[in-house]
Amino acid sequence: MPAMPPRAISIRALLLAGIGAVLLVVLGPAAWLSYSGSEEEAQELFDARLATSARVLEALVARQLERATIAAPIVLALPAPLESYGHDQPGPLGHYYETKIAFQVRDAAGRLLARSASAHEAPFAPLEAGFSTRPIAEWSWRVFSLRSGEVWIQVAERDDVRDEMSQKIAFAAAAPLLAGIPLILVLVTLLVRRGLTPLSELVRQVAARQPGSVEPLALVQAPAEISPLVDALNGLLERVRAALERERRFTADAAHELRTPLAALKVHAQNAVRASSAEEREASLQRMLQGLERTVHLAEQMLAYSRAANSAQAPGSVRLLALLGEAVEAIRPLAQERGAKVNVVAAAGLEALAVRGERHQLLSLVTNLLDNAIRYGPPGGRVEVSLGLDGDGAVLGVADQGPGIPPGLRERIFESYYRIPGSGGAGSGLGLSIVKEIAEAHGARVEVHDGPGGRGTRIVVRFAALERHAPVARTMPVATSQERQ
Amino acid sequence: MRILLVEDDELLGAGIRDALARAHCSVEWALDGRQALAALRAGEFDLVVLDLGLPGIDGIEVLRSLRAGGGVTPVLVLSARDTPPERVLGLDEGADDYMVKPFDVDELLARARALQRRQRGAAVNVIDHGRLRLDPASLSVTCEGRAVPLQRREFMLLHKLLQSAGQVLSRAQLEESVYGWSDGVESNSLDVHIHRLRRKLYPEVIRTVRGVGYVADPPA
Repeated sequence: MPAMPPRAISIRALLLAGIGAVLLVVLGPAAWLSYSGSEEEAQELFDARLATSARVLEALVARQLERATIAAPIVLALPAPLESYGHDQPGPLGHYYETKIAFQVRDAAGRLLARSASAHEAPFAPLEAGFSTRPIAEWSWRVFSLRSGEVWIQVAERDDVRDEMSQKIAFAAAAPLLAGIPLILVLVTLLVRRGLTPLSELVRQVAARQPGSVEPLALVQAPAEISPLVDALNGLLERVRAALERERRFTADAAHELRTPLAALKVHAQNAVRASSAEEREASLQRMLQGLERTVHLAEQMLAYSRAANSAQAPGSVRLLALLGEAVEAIRPLAQERGAKVNVVAAAGLEALAVRGERHQLLSLVTNLLDNAIRYGPPGGRVEVSLGLDGDGAVLGVADQGPGIPPGLRERIFESYYRIPGSGGAGSGLGLSIVKEIAEAHGARVEVHDGPGGRGTRIVVRFAALERHAPVARTMPVATSQERQ
Repeated sequence: MRILLVEDDELLGAGIRDALARAHCSVEWALDGRQALAALRAGEFDLVVLDLGLPGIDGIEVLRSLRAGGGVTPVLVLSARDTPPERVLGLDEGADDYMVKPFDVDELLARARALQRRQRGAAVNVIDHGRLRLDPASLSVTCEGRAVPLQRREFMLLHKLLQSAGQVLSRAQLEESVYGWSDGVESNSLDVHIHRLRRKLYPEVIRTVRGVGYVADPPA
């Protein structure tokens, strides 16, 4: 496995962290509000119970005590705590929580008349009506004081007991909110894993690929988010498949196309070796040389085609008129050999006319057009090269005086290794394929027309991308004819 | 041996023609399928060397057309098409042998001789004819063990007569096997070659059948 790039984002981790954070931000305060609200309500409830206890005590005891004369305070033993009961379960005799209340009854002078066994003898609090919180002995107590005629009734409850209970109540209200967070995270994890299954399947399929396997990825029920990725990958695979197929065919065709020239070379070489006279040997060697030249030309054209088809275009600005001059210069030896005359005609002011492109590729395009025109034109024929403007595009034309191309074959001549039947076996069959590849790489279009006056062939290349370095005088239709050769 | 060469590549065709001519074969060269079919209709050949990738009528079509017309001339396909299905197609359509370009000239000549000897039902190249022995591989002729140097056309003429021993051949048949269509034939040159053969070998080697032609009688 290749090392993971640093800080690769995991969708699963991102979702979990994000949802966890959101839950904490939303449910955390909610839980806190619920907790504190419940606790407050519980405290109020306890206060109310304390007050109720005081009134019950008043109704049952205090009024009688007012008129009683007693030497010593009455101590009332309330039932012992129901320790056998659980904290949370009410029982038939009561509840564990019920025993925590203490009370005192005093006269107006503050003398203790009665108290519960759980209460101290010292006063709970000053004789003032209402609630107060007092430290008594080692505990803090909540006290309610009620005046009833000449007596005061004070009912008290230990704060820590109240707090414990109110906290329990508040916690019971808030806990489910917080307890839900891990459960939600677990469920989200499962959902995310389920949601990412197609992605894992895609990874598995792509990882299992061999370099040559380009059949489309098949993902059953790809989710809406992943199917564009699958489609894009399949599009890429299709382009790769087409490119591979083209490479494969080109290689197979190349091997096939080389057989005949190589066979000719071998036959003439063997003839030369077995020649019975110096003249015979000389003739065979001459033909071998011809064969070699042809094979070299074929190999060069194959290379040029391969380059044109796989050109990583590093564009620059190429002036077309200068390019034409260079191409005419390059083709001069062939033109001289065939006695052909190459004539370049360009409208005035086109010296600066340029296209964006790769200079060598464009030169190869023009040279191939000229080579074809000379090769398939008659010996001593004329090749008319023209450069002009059409709207915003540049138009390059090369016309020959050859036999012309029947309309039915005007598409086929661009296929690699296609030669028009009867045109002789000397050409590589790649020239126009090279032209087309280069033109397409430069966004140009190649057209086949009849030559001037319906004779021969005129190949036209229309360049769309046009660059001008100097103003072009389009209103001056004066043609300058540059006679070459 | 009279051979029809069908090859559209001029450079390769010229090389094969030269090689066959040096092996004392008479060669007619067709540059496309149409010419090949015309040549097959016009004359008799001992062998057709056939390229498949031809302009116009494909070589396979030429082969089908020849076989459909009942032609039994041996056909050796010489093609750049090298895949097994292509070879199978060629052989099944009636080719007797199949060679892939580029090929070895000596092998081509040897296969041509092999097809030739099967044509006359022999298992070896050498033709034994009484006192005579003709070897088409080394292009040599011996008479009673003595090597007899023969001119190219004399050898071709003797070869034709011996491989059809006992069969009377017309002047036209003999001239066709010695001269190509493009060579000019002088009216009495066949007689000159026959005269020389009788002189170099022995007079009874070729018998004249008046008004019909010539025959090499099978040895007693």
